[in-house]
Amino acid sequence: STSSVLSTDKDKSAASKDSTPEGASKRQEDGAETPKQQLLDIIGNMKVEVSYRKKLQQLKASESKKQALNKLEGLDSEGSVPQGTTEDTQRGKPLNPELVKAASAIASSLPRNKKQTESELLAQLRRHEETTDKQKKGGTINIRNVISEMTVKRQTPAQRSARISGRISLELDEDDRRIRPERSSAQSVDSRSLKVGKRLNIFTKASTEPEHALKTVSSPTIWDLEFAKEVAAVTAQPPRNGFEEMIQWTKEGILWEFPIDNEVGMEDDAEFHEHIFLEKHLEGFPKEGPIRHFMELVICGLSKNPYLSVKQKVEHIEWFQKYFEEKKELLQEI
Amino acid sequence: MAAAALCWALRAARQVLPSPCPRQVRSYYVDWRMLRDVKRRKMAYEHADERLRINAIRKNSILPRELQEVADKEIAALPRDSCPVRIRNRCVLTSRPRGVKRRWRLSRIVFRHFADHAQMSGVQRAMW
Repeated sequence: STSSVLSTDKDKSAASKDSTPEGASKRQEDGAETPKQQLLDIIGNMKVEVSYRKKLQQLKASESKKQALNKLEGLDSEGSVPQGTTEDTQRGKPLNPELVKAASAIASSLPRNKKQTESELLAQLRRHEETTDKQKKGGTINIRNVISEMTVKRQTPAQRSARISGRISLELDEDDRRIRPERSSAQSVDSRSLKVGKRLNIFTKASTEPEHALKTVSSPTIWDLEFAKEVAAVTAQPPRNGFEEMIQWTKEGILWEFPIDNEVGMEDDAEFHEHIFLEKHLEGFPKEGPIRHFMELVICGLSKNPYLSVKQKVEHIEWFQKYFEEKKELLQEI
Repeated sequence: MAAAALCWALRAARQVLPSPCPRQVRSYYVDWRMLRDVKRRKMAYEHADERLRINAIRKNSILPRELQEVADKEIAALPRDSCPVRIRNRCVLTSRPRGVKRRWRLSRIVFRHFADHAQMSGVQRAMW
């Protein structure tokens, strides 16, 4: 509860460099006051400042102190004194004297090793100062570098219309796949290529594990198959109850799988336009005449047929094509 | 009549599995007529597409008549068992050609037998 009280006090307060150090030092000299009281006095003397930057710093410092407190309360005192002292000597930048005094007050208020806690708190503060400085200068992730390489892409109206027309086109090749939208990504990068420029180091390279190639067993021999069948036959117990019977039936295919899927076994990957717009298959036929008329009726009927797959419809039309080609001589006589 | 009834009852009983594990596959049809019917069904399935297409050419008012006559001859040249008209819906258990209800594919006698023994799901004696 003491820590929570302290933390609430710290959150409320905002410090400034221009507080009265003399007054604080005077109070510290009072032996009668408890360290906690001293800390509260120090915090109470701190003035409110307008600039947000200082406030951020102070908040960060207070957060670090809170963390340090929690850490210290949770852990046993570890041998981190030498660490703190070396860090103290290394850092050239001095810490906020107010913070130092606050740290010393906290350290004295805690029951553990006072010197140690003080040094640890100071180390934490120093670290936080460093990180804030770093972030201000922009040392960790350089967004500027990232953004400098990017440019705003401007589409010419010609390109825009080309793109729209590309979407509308339904041209299919023999494999019933779209020809048009096969643009590679390199097309969009006209003036800048993809591999030029500094590495941005945003993504870590995913370690490509060598795919564990399983030991490929040569195709199982007849003896293996027989053995497997025998084992399955021996271990297959008669079903103990109705549930197991139903499971067996489902495996054999006698019983459907529930919830019933209406499209089991039906793997129609074709889009609706491949079912309906079948004129492209009529290219082998003469353009005029009764045969064309007949075939157009056939196509009209097929387009309304939901039961056949696209393959079956195409086969249907091709059969007619073959048939009429065989009868060509006969037709010529007519 | 009684002997026939006994016969098919025995046959029906034989179809019950002696042991649940190895599934008994029926290797005999009830009689030769049923077998011929089965053959006809298979052939009709194979030639169904062709027959449909040739008939589409025949039953047409657009194509020239000579073409239709040629198509007539072609369809007559197909094997006789390939036409669906020759299929008879026989009873599945007794191969009875008449008195067969389509929904259950059973003749009326078999149907009555099973219904009375409460082996037809949802079938009850009518009373109103």
